[in-house]
Amino acid sequence: MFLVYLWNYIRGYVIIVVTGKSIERFINICSRRQILLWDIERKDHESAVMKASLRGFRHMRPAAKKSACRVRIVKKCGFPFVLARLRKRRGFKIGFAIFVFLFLISTSIIWEIEITGCKPEQVPGIMKILENERVKRGRFKMGLDPKKIAQEIVMQVDGIAWAGVEIRGVKLTVSIEDSISVPKLIQSNQPYNIVAERDGLIVKMEVYAGNALVKEGDTVRKGQLLVSGKIENQRPDLGGDFGSKEVHALGRVIARTWYESSLPVSMEYTQRIKTGNEHKTVYLKFLDEKIKLPGKKIPFEIYETSSYDKILTGPFGIKLPIGLTIEKSFEIIENKIDLTLDEAKSIAEETVRQKLAQRLPPDSRIVDEKINFFESDSGQMYIQIVIECEEDIAGFEPVIE
Amino acid sequence: MKRRIYRIKRESSKEPGPSLGEKLARIFEIPEDVVGSHPRVTAIGRGEVLVENFKGIMDFKDGMIRISTNNGVIKITGTNLKIREITSEEMIIGGKISNIDYDA
Repeated sequence: MFLVYLWNYIRGYVIIVVTGKSIERFINICSRRQILLWDIERKDHESAVMKASLRGFRHMRPAAKKSACRVRIVKKCGFPFVLARLRKRRGFKIGFAIFVFLFLISTSIIWEIEITGCKPEQVPGIMKILENERVKRGRFKMGLDPKKIAQEIVMQVDGIAWAGVEIRGVKLTVSIEDSISVPKLIQSNQPYNIVAERDGLIVKMEVYAGNALVKEGDTVRKGQLLVSGKIENQRPDLGGDFGSKEVHALGRVIARTWYESSLPVSMEYTQRIKTGNEHKTVYLKFLDEKIKLPGKKIPFEIYETSSYDKILTGPFGIKLPIGLTIEKSFEIIENKIDLTLDEAKSIAEETVRQKLAQRLPPDSRIVDEKINFFESDSGQMYIQIVIECEEDIAGFEPVIE
Repeated sequence: MKRRIYRIKRESSKEPGPSLGEKLARIFEIPEDVVGSHPRVTAIGRGEVLVENFKGIMDFKDGMIRISTNNGVIKITGTNLKIREITSEEMIIGGKISNIDYDA
């Protein structure tokens, strides 16, 4: 029923009063002539109130004449009449023109840029190219060449196999396909040496090809030649017409290596505790610009902040460029705690261990671990951890003549 | 005037018996309102009566509406009667209905 009402409103209708002796006849003629009437109510025995469509009202005159009735309009309802009223107002016309103009402009601007499919470390490079091409939010779409931008990205950013730039509506999408970076090839038919990748004490050597220059128990420095790809003729006196032969050295060199890290032991420990007090700073965000809204200053001495955006969402989930950025500041109290010697030591040990763990190669095996504490001349205590492990230190390098 | 003559003719030719279409409908057991020009009166609750296949309104007064059909006159009485909608095929009568009478 509501839909019918809405439809009638859009089409426009009039409320009329029909006066006459034979209103039934008037209704019959109207219905036969496809003039739609509805909500007919008898007022008294000489008149009736009814509603008629605009089109129907225009064709009503013959019916009224035939039935000797008089038709009078009480009220004009519906959208066409509203429109007619608005048409007279100049302000509305101007407003409508402005609306159309703004709408056209805003749809020809890029409001959103999306980069998909690439590694996080490639994003700055891509952003820079976009910047060079003067592509940013708020730019007009006109004069933009997606193919050219895509080409620039492929040419200038490493590790990208294919890039596609697409403008869909007000959104510019850069889709990236990474190429897998080519692993360093070790060509088995070319002469290679084995050199030490790290300082260490050789524990075990397995040489499958090449001329070993060091033996078990030797200490080697980083970069030292361990197995040469050049095989000299050991017994020239036995003949054989080759002086030397070049092979691809192959082998495993297990060595004992040491990793060391030290740190001063602090007898104080600062504990950061959130007090639970928080303060909000609100920024109005338009595109990438931020405008601070008036508000109190942050009343805390030490605080941590985290911010999040509240972006207005239009119909169909379109993100509008206007929104709020809310920065929440949390008050923090720094508590300095005096530690006992044991506590201080264990905390220092923990931090040193973490530092060392990052440096250890993944295929190493920890053999031994030593923790030393010593005091410097000024009385500051230091912790030193030495980790001893076994690992393969063979590194391949081409023979350079 | 021409129109009046036509009307009389049609009524007189219809009166004697059921039309060919109605006969066929009876044979093939098709509901008569589909083929024939019999009125179809549908009352929904107490507040709405839908009349199809009517010829015209004969009387429309405050508490009474008389509708002429091929089967005679249907009289609908009630309070606050109004014609919600009227086209050449059907009309919807609203209000608080108390009677639907035939041949009145």
